Amino acid sequence: MKKILIIDTKAGNLFSLKAAIERLGFSATILAAPDDNVFDGIVIPGQGRFGTVMKNLNANQWPDYLQQAKTKNIPMLGICVGMQIFFEGSDEDPEAVGLGWFSGKAQKLNFPKKPMVGWAKLDSNIWPQSIVYFVNSYAVKQSEHSIATTFYGEQFCAAVKQNSFVGVQFHPEKSSEAGAQIIAQALSGNTARSNGDLI
Amino acid sequence: MSIQEANQNSLMPRVIVCLDVDNGRVVKGTNFKQMRDMGDPVELALAYENQGADELVFLDISASNENRPTALKLVTDIAKNLSIPFTVGGGLKKLDDVKAFLDAGADKVALNTTAILKPDIINQTAMAYGSQCVVVAIDVNKDSDGKLGVYINGGRQLVENEFFSWCNEVADRGTGEILLTAMHKDGTGSGFDTELTQQVSKNVPVQVIASGGAKTEQHYLDAFTHNADACLAAGMFHSGDYTVGQVKEYLAKAGLIVR
Repeated sequence: MKKILIIDTKAGNLFSLKAAIERLGFSATILAAPDDNVFDGIVIPGQGRFGTVMKNLNANQWPDYLQQAKTKNIPMLGICVGMQIFFEGSDEDPEAVGLGWFSGKAQKLNFPKKPMVGWAKLDSNIWPQSIVYFVNSYAVKQSEHSIATTFYGEQFCAAVKQNSFVGVQFHPEKSSEAGAQIIAQALSGNTARSNGDLI
Repeated sequence: MSIQEANQNSLMPRVIVCLDVDNGRVVKGTNFKQMRDMGDPVELALAYENQGADELVFLDISASNENRPTALKLVTDIAKNLSIPFTVGGGLKKLDDVKAFLDAGADKVALNTTAILKPDIINQTAMAYGSQCVVVAIDVNKDSDGKLGVYINGGRQLVENEFFSWCNEVADRGTGEILLTAMHKDGTGSGFDTELTQQVSKNVPVQVIASGGAKTEQHYLDAFTHNADACLAAGMFHSGDYTVGQVKEYLAKAGLIVR
């Protein structure tokens, strides 16, 4: 059984996320600070403000842990703000510094209504036709690592991928069957292009 | 608003099913005294998720304080089983109540009477959990002269708040969505108040959920082509007259892009 770590960023309940992971047949452990256990996959949840999440990650030495996990190619899934923290920053809390693995930042986009709430179809080779649930006021407009976009007032980056890390702006744990498949793929490290090539 | 305009964003119109919960069971009020037991909330929630419901709203889940621990446990059970978003509302009187239900696993809380009596709770919840967790429910009635009145306490008490300024105020205070229930439409089966929905949706910068009056699939199409971001109904689904899937099929045939 795959052992998945959910990082507790102290920014909201994790019941749905934990249950979504367990429904896939994985075990899920919630930790507020790193320990010595070895995990097969790591999830950074999608609740809370950018600044608060970064503050809690920094306070518990998560950035070093994540850097090491990246070196070891452990599958990682960042959800919503948990994806945004891998960029340089966010207009939500301009003083907070992100992990900076990806260039760019989350911005307040030209959404017709804020927050964006609801289901939207992804424009993606990897997840063609997938319809997933978004809840966000901020998003990354574009990234060289983008693997999915969607359109709400303007086009923005709905998912990024680099090596074993997948970041999604939407909430797969609230996206029914489509979301479950995306979580399973990301945590198995087998997110592939539709032609079967691993990226 | 044309079908083309409705489809211009990737964001899709949402079909939301409302379930009334009393003492851990889903109930349907047939009149003031009699409540019909409809079944287990988790089972019904899953059935609606399977039908294609985009979200669920559980009302009065928290109405009485004595049942609080049971209600919180139920919310956690729902969160563990459902993989679509859900809102809980009814009887949330203070910020601690809101926190308790969000911490138990609810994605959003619906605030109605409390939002009117203590409007700061909207700001406080939005600050603590984010706007996406707040739905302000507004019960509005249009009288025979066409005058709009805002009501609280389950539609029993008229308040002084002017309807449109209240809509704008809740948006300014940080609500993520407005659940707009047209009391003059509720139970009529004559469709949503499309005109009012459109007025609010076009002028207030948050998502608007139309509620009250739905009986047929055409009513959904009418609301969505009048700028409704989502539509909520209970009876037409609980009665078995329609499945969510049937409504969505109708919308898709009419050209709307739905999930």
